[in-house]
Parts: sequence; C-alpha cells; structure tokens
Amino acid sequence: MSYLGLVLANLRRNRLRSLLTGGAIALAVLLVCILLTMPAGLDALLSRLSNNTRISVVNKAGLVYSMPYAFARKIRALPGVEDAVGQVWFGGAFEDDGKVTFPNFAVEVDHIETVYPDYGISPQGLADFRRYRDGMIVGRETMKKYGWKLGDRVTLRSTVWPANLDLRIVAEIPNDRSPIAWINREYLDQALKAKGRSLGILGIVWVKVTDPKEVNSVMLRIQELTRNSEAETSTQTEKSFFSAFFGSLEGFVTILMVVTVLVSLCIVFIAGNTASMAVRERAGEIAVLKAIGFRRGSIFSMLIAETVMLSFTAGAAGVGLARLLTELLRNAAAGSPQLGPLGGFIVNQAVVVQGLLLSLAIGVVAGVVPAFGAARKPVAQTLREVF
Amino acid sequence: MSEAYATGAASPLIRLDHVSRWYTRGVDEVHALEDCSLEIPAGRFVAFMGPSGSGKSTLLNLVSGIDRPSAGEVWVAGQLLNELSEDELAAWRARHVGLIFQFFNLVPVLSARDNVALPLLLTDLPRAERQQRAEIALRVVGLEHRVGHSPRTLSGGEQQRVAIARALVSDPDLIVADEPTGDLDARNAEATLGLLRQLKEEFGKTVVMVTHDPRALRFVDQVFHLDKGILLEGEAERRAHEALVLAGGAAPASAGGAAPAASAAGRGA
Repeated sequence: MSYLGLVLANLRRNRLRSLLTGGAIALAVLLVCILLTMPAGLDALLSRLSNNTRISVVNKAGLVYSMPYAFARKIRALPGVEDAVGQVWFGGAFEDDGKVTFPNFAVEVDHIETVYPDYGISPQGLADFRRYRDGMIVGRETMKKYGWKLGDRVTLRSTVWPANLDLRIVAEIPNDRSPIAWINREYLDQALKAKGRSLGILGIVWVKVTDPKEVNSVMLRIQELTRNSEAETSTQTEKSFFSAFFGSLEGFVTILMVVTVLVSLCIVFIAGNTASMAVRERAGEIAVLKAIGFRRGSIFSMLIAETVMLSFTAGAAGVGLARLLTELLRNAAAGSPQLGPLGGFIVNQAVVVQGLLLSLAIGVVAGVVPAFGAARKPVAQTLREVF
Repeated sequence: MSEAYATGAASPLIRLDHVSRWYTRGVDEVHALEDCSLEIPAGRFVAFMGPSGSGKSTLLNLVSGIDRPSAGEVWVAGQLLNELSEDELAAWRARHVGLIFQFFNLVPVLSARDNVALPLLLTDLPRAERQQRAEIALRVVGLEHRVGHSPRTLSGGEQQRVAIARALVSDPDLIVADEPTGDLDARNAEATLGLLRQLKEEFGKTVVMVTHDPRALRFVDQVFHLDKGILLEGEAERRAHEALVLAGGAAPASAGGAAPAASAAGRGA
C-alpha cells in the first residue's frame, strides 16, 4: 500500500456518497463547459454571418428611423468605398400568415453582387435579379421552410407599405442559415407611385470597403458626410452590427454565466460539506495516524488529495460529457437548418482546460478547510475528544 | 540532569522529572497531572493504574510524545521531548513508539496487512519490504492466516492483535497501550495481555500500559498507581494496590511486587 492507495481506499469508503458528490461536481462542470462555449460560439456565428470589409450605415437615432435615399449614392462616391447598397425594410408577409416570418428588404439590385461577393449567389441568378423587376433572391433557410424552388411565384403583402407584390424567385442565397429575401427596390417604388406614394428613403446602407485597413477611415468619412444633415448616421462593421443585434442574447449569456458561477459556488459548498463530514467521521482514524507519526503536512496532503482526486475525476467526466454532447449537437446541426447555429458551440481545448481547472479549484477549495482543521489540531486534543 | 543520563546507556528508557500537565476546558483549568516523577528502565512491562480521571492517559500521552508537559521534563530514549516541535515529535514517535488503543482504530477500508504496514509508509522502505514486514508482524501475533482480511471481518480480539502488530512493525523502543483490554472479553483480554508480555520477553520491548483491568497485575513487572493526577506513594499506594488485588488481580511477576514500584522516582520492582 502507498499514499495513493490510502487515498483511493478512503474514497471507496462510502461509495454512494463519493458517487453522489462526484455526480454533482460532474454535472456542474458540464453545465459550466457548455456555457463557456457560448461566447466563442456566438463569436463564430457572428464571424460566419459577417464580413470584415462590410460596414453598415443606419440613422443615428436607431434602426427604425430612415435616411434620405441620396445617402447611398453619396457614400458610393467616397474614397475607399468599393460599392454600397441601400436597403429598406419591406416587411412582406407570405400568403395569409399576416406576420413577417422572414426578413425581406427592397434593395438596389445593381449593387448586390459587389457588396455581397461572399454570399455565393449564382451569376445567372444575379443576372436574372437585374433583368426581372419582380425578381426575388431568397435565403436557403426560407426556401426550405416554405418548400420554394427557383422559378416559383409568390406574393408578399407588405406590413409597412401599401403594396402587395407578386414576385418570382430568381436566385437562392446558398446558405442553410440564411433566412433573408431581397426584392427590387424599383419594383416597390413603382408600386407605391401607382398609389400616389414614393419610396425616397433608406433603412440601412451596406458598404463594401476596398481594403480592410480602410474600414475605420471610411466609417469616419461617412459620419463626416452626414454630420449636421437631417439624418446623422451611425456606422459599424458588420460583425459589430450583428453583435448589437444579438446583444440581448449576450446579456442572457452573461446572466447564465453568473448563474453558473453561483452553481459552481454551491457545488464547492456541497463538496466542502461532504469533505467535512468525511473528516469528522474519521476523526479517530486521523488521530491515530497522527499518533503513530504522520506529520501534519502528510495528513493535510492526504485529505486534500481525496477531495481533489474526486473533484478532478468527476470534473474530467463532466468535461468529457460536455464535449460529447456538443459533438453530437454539431453532428445533428450539420443536417438541420433549425439546429444549425448550435453547431458553433464547441468544447474546444480552452474550454477543456478551463473545465479541468474549475474541477481542480472545487477540490482544493472544498477540501482545504476541513483538511487544514484536521491537520492543525494537536494530536492529544483530538485523542481526548474522540476517545 | 546529567549529560550521561540524557544520552545514556545504562540509564532508564523513560524518565519524568517533576512533570505536571494542565489544560483549559472552557473556563476551567484542569490539572490532569501534578508534579510526577518516575523512571522506567528499558525492557520492562509497566502499567499505569487508577480510577477514571486519575491522569493515567495523560501520563501515557506524555511518555509516548503525543502530548507535552506544562512543567517538568520528559526524557525518553535519550531525547528530551519538551524541546521538540509538533512535527519533530511526530517523526520521533514514528521511530521510537508503537501505539495500541482501546478501540483498535484500524482503518476499515484497508486489509489487516495494509493496516499493519501503515507506520512503514513513513519510512523509505520499498513497498515489497513494507508488505513483508507487515506479514512478519502479523505472524508474531498469530494472524498470518488473516493478512488479507478487512478489519470488519475480524473479531475484537483479532483486531486488537492487528493493532499490536501495527505497533510492533516499525520495531520501536517503546510500546504504549491505552486500555488495550477495555473492549475485549475475558479470553481475548488475557490473550492480549499475554501477547504484550511476549513482546517484552521475546523482543525486549519496553511496554507501558494504561489499564483498569486487575488481571494485568499477573502480566506486568511494575505498576504505578495514580489518583487525581498524583502518583501515589507509601501507604496510599499500598492501599490502592491491595484494593486491586482484592478486585481479582495478582501481584506482578517481578520481585518486590507492585507496591514498591509505585513510589517516588527511580523506585520500582
């Protein structure tokens, strides 16, 4: 028998208690690991959604406020700008849904190809989008959702404008996670003019910058351009834009992280209580060990080793389970557009290390007080109390 | 205290010089032992006897280096224990003292062999040798057929023999036993006392025991009687000893009996 053997034997002393404590620790570490994947997962999601040379321009007052249509042309003329596309929220509802179930915008068709070269839209589709005023480009997620295919005709009833537009699907955005749809701005404008209205505004302008190094200077130029105008603008990179859009989700993640920290603390207290009970129950044995010559350091080390070993083993199991779960989720997400974004939440090496460190910390913090107390107490006093 | 005594051959293994021990319990100060002086030569089997609260266990704790005196000096095997720190005392105990307790206090999750080998964890011996020595110690106490058994499967007498083997395994100068027969039936109590006597006879160990058991008189060389923290002397000691003999004990084996032994420092059988 060795010191390690003694520690392991003591862990086996009350198997049910060790199992339950280990289970609680494993579950807590699993939860923490999954939550730790969220910031990186969201970041990956945003990175996938965004392009580092694309910036958004919106009314400084907020996304629901408009900007003059002329802004798009003026922005296109700025140095460092490759192209820009003005968009306005159409808010079209399909058939009798009555509600907008996917984001759809009226866009300047001639500028889509240059601003979104990374979207992988087919050249034929883009050509048809320019050719047919009633053309519509639809993201694959929405295509799948409604069972649409290229060439289908659909009618969208705007919830914002007095216009019901008959549209033909001319192209698809080949991304399983893209729900958006674009229609021709001129087509909407004509429909409104027929009813005595005009579409002279923009909701957002997406700007493609020639060089990633130029992004900041272009953003400053745009803000300078619109300063003191009727609609001052706010600019941000596409990643920041989506990040702000998902801001509430990040807040939710923050709350979850706080809850997770509290859960971890609870586990520390539970494990600490278990360790204290174990030490109390073995007070006689510990006294005997000290009496036969085990030093305080040895007693402390053995007791802390027990909690650390239990916590670390359970934590490692929790980390492994978390990794397995996220792998399963990723595999499931690969074939499911609904689960798609969840595929980005991966227990990577950093999360594994953090999970294992947390397990270690739980063991040390939970064990240190009872171990120190048992080791510090003079052997004669312990013997008097116990026997 | 002469240097020769402190380091010395031909000197007693244990010497207590005007030792007192008091401690606080709540707001009270308990005087567990008062001005106690005694000497125990090497190779003796000695008992501390007296009623509950008489200071026997305190005296045993001082002799075994588990506790330190509030006043006076405790010399064991040439070492002044007062001057050792807690950790130094632990190391000293590991080398020089084997301990036996009333309730055996074996680790229930370890086999008999592993329990016996526990003190050897504190040595540099390789694992195989530790196991071998543990098995030899178990053979000495007649439990060679129970080496792999858990303490839960052993009788009380067998558990106490495992505890004796544990005390013996590191080949200490001194074996101390606190009420070793207190939790045993008559047959096992006699066997345990016989075994302790055997350690003295065959291995030359000095055995110091605290007991209430009058049967111990038939096995020990010398008895020290205590009452209310005081080592009895003269008439008080004689009366205590007679009461013990009447209760069922017999005079100790050595010449001079118990009564002369339980006198002032240096006096014994």
